[in-house]
Amino acid sequence: MAVKSMGEYDFPSRSRQELYGDDQLVSVWFQDTMWFASPAMFRAPRAMTWADFRDQMFVPFAEEDPDYDPAAPRTWMLHGAPFEPRDDQTLAELGVRHKDVIGTRVAA
Amino acid sequence: MTLAPENKTKKAKKLSMKARYEALTRGLDWEPSYVEKDEMFPHLDYEGIKIHDWAAWEDPFRLTIDAYCKYQAEKDKRLYAVLDGFAQGQGHLGLTDASYLNAMKIFIQGVTPLEYGAHRHFAYLARHFAGPGPRFAALCQSIDEIRHMQTEIHTLSNYNKYYSGFHNWPEEYDRVWYLSVPKSFFEDALSCGPFEFLIAVGFSFEYLLTNLLFVPFMSGSSFNGDLPTMTFGFSAQSDESRHMTLGLEAIKFLLEQDEANVPIVQGWIDKWFWRSYRVTALVAQMLDYMLPRKVMSWKESFELYFEEQMLGGLFEDLAFYGITPPRHVEDAIKEKEILSHQVYWTLYQFSFAAAFTTSAPSDEHMDWLSQAYPDTFDTHYRPLWEKEKKNIEAGGRHFAPGLPQLCQVCQVPMLFTEPGDATTFAQRESEFEGEIYHTCSNGCQWIFEREPEKYRQAWLPVHQIYQGNCGGPTVPEVLEWYGLQDGDAGEYIGSRDHRNWQAWQGEAAADTATPDETKAGA
Repeated sequence: MAVKSMGEYDFPSRSRQELYGDDQLVSVWFQDTMWFASPAMFRAPRAMTWADFRDQMFVPFAEEDPDYDPAAPRTWMLHGAPFEPRDDQTLAELGVRHKDVIGTRVAA
Repeated sequence: MTLAPENKTKKAKKLSMKARYEALTRGLDWEPSYVEKDEMFPHLDYEGIKIHDWAAWEDPFRLTIDAYCKYQAEKDKRLYAVLDGFAQGQGHLGLTDASYLNAMKIFIQGVTPLEYGAHRHFAYLARHFAGPGPRFAALCQSIDEIRHMQTEIHTLSNYNKYYSGFHNWPEEYDRVWYLSVPKSFFEDALSCGPFEFLIAVGFSFEYLLTNLLFVPFMSGSSFNGDLPTMTFGFSAQSDESRHMTLGLEAIKFLLEQDEANVPIVQGWIDKWFWRSYRVTALVAQMLDYMLPRKVMSWKESFELYFEEQMLGGLFEDLAFYGITPPRHVEDAIKEKEILSHQVYWTLYQFSFAAAFTTSAPSDEHMDWLSQAYPDTFDTHYRPLWEKEKKNIEAGGRHFAPGLPQLCQVCQVPMLFTEPGDATTFAQRESEFEGEIYHTCSNGCQWIFEREPEKYRQAWLPVHQIYQGNCGGPTVPEVLEWYGLQDGDAGEYIGSRDHRNWQAWQGEAAADTATPDETKAGA
């Protein structure tokens, strides 16, 4: 169903990717703890490597949890399936799109 | 020129109230002769609603403007007398605690601007409806709404002299992240057609949920020593019951005019119930966490004012017209056990960027929560607060070191969990013209997918911060752009309000102690 309006109704998204230049929005969803009240959102370059994303964005956020264990191996989810990012792959190479949500939990 | 005096022996016949009302409303209506009727009322067709007989609108209240003014003036006189007395007697020192005012900060920041929005838009309805009955009803409501805004400001402005968080609410309403929840809700309604607005605000918000919004706020104020807000509440209450009657009349009028209106109205009820319900999340946490002296839990309040009165009463009546309870209402019912806890946990960890303060609940408070929520609090939320207690003892204070993902529709952080599963965050993803959008629930996803062209324009605070539109990329720059000052945000314990409160309570105790000491010395 479309918006019912008196005239043409077609306006661009207010958060489309081009508004972020070479960057995009990426969220991280902590799937095994309720400590963080919601997933966290970051602005990250598409050319950022996984190692940089993890160390510069994810870790400084995650370590606010007193139970965060930096040594614990983690599993990662993207688009509803587990994925195993390599440190040198960029977000773009990993297929992380603008506004994608990456799930994570400590590996069982 | 001198006019001859009229014959004074003949007393002018006074019209009855009903006849005066007829003369001053319907009697002033006219048929246009220079333009066609649809040129005079150009906004009435495009939503698909069919009205065959505007005169069939039954006026739910028959007031004339002069009677309205007299009545409201009396109520206002009483309110302002209370405000004066409270201010002169330093009544604020009799509150249960300064932290109580956090609820009132959210009220003036998030609800008062909605009154103004309602004032504007009911004035628009008073211009655009083609029948004099609904036009006049909308006019009265428009005046009510601006009075409510004014009286709320006057009621709460006294606290602005002594407490943080009250000084910049109109700008905060436009800018601060949690206030985008009520703002985007209301602007969604303002940008609808006139009939949808009537169902959105007049029915879904004013009728379905107004008791849930107002009664707990006002009882909360009375329980916590806030006489001015309680008096404002009583003053507004009689208007609110008139608005509820208008909302109910509006929906019955639309449903009776044409059968084709029924599915359109049902769609609006489905949408606007959920939109309004999401806004009440702010009230849920207030009831359970922000009031030092508790009135009732959110769960009890939801059961009484929504499940019993609305689902049990109203929707049974509306079934006659073929209207069913709102879509997704079952998800809302499931949430009553967890909503307030999840919302307050979120506000707690993001209050470093808010115009109110938060604090971890005390042991006594947690015991009350356990009693009120025997099935969920001890299982899910007490462990989080116990962990936070240890964190505080170790010198920490849980503030999220970043920004949350937001729902594209309600704009609340994505804090809600799957229906029936309190440990799995809900994530809904929709794609529209090559871009993905996230929503927090089945309700918000359904609303998004119904009108994606509308919601893709959402001004989401987190996205706007990341685009650089909110003062700068760092938290201090954003807070400055919000107009926050020292003492507005963060932890309550040790805050400016808390320190002042303790000092003032100490002084008040010393003042009352003085005469006895003098006596003892003499």
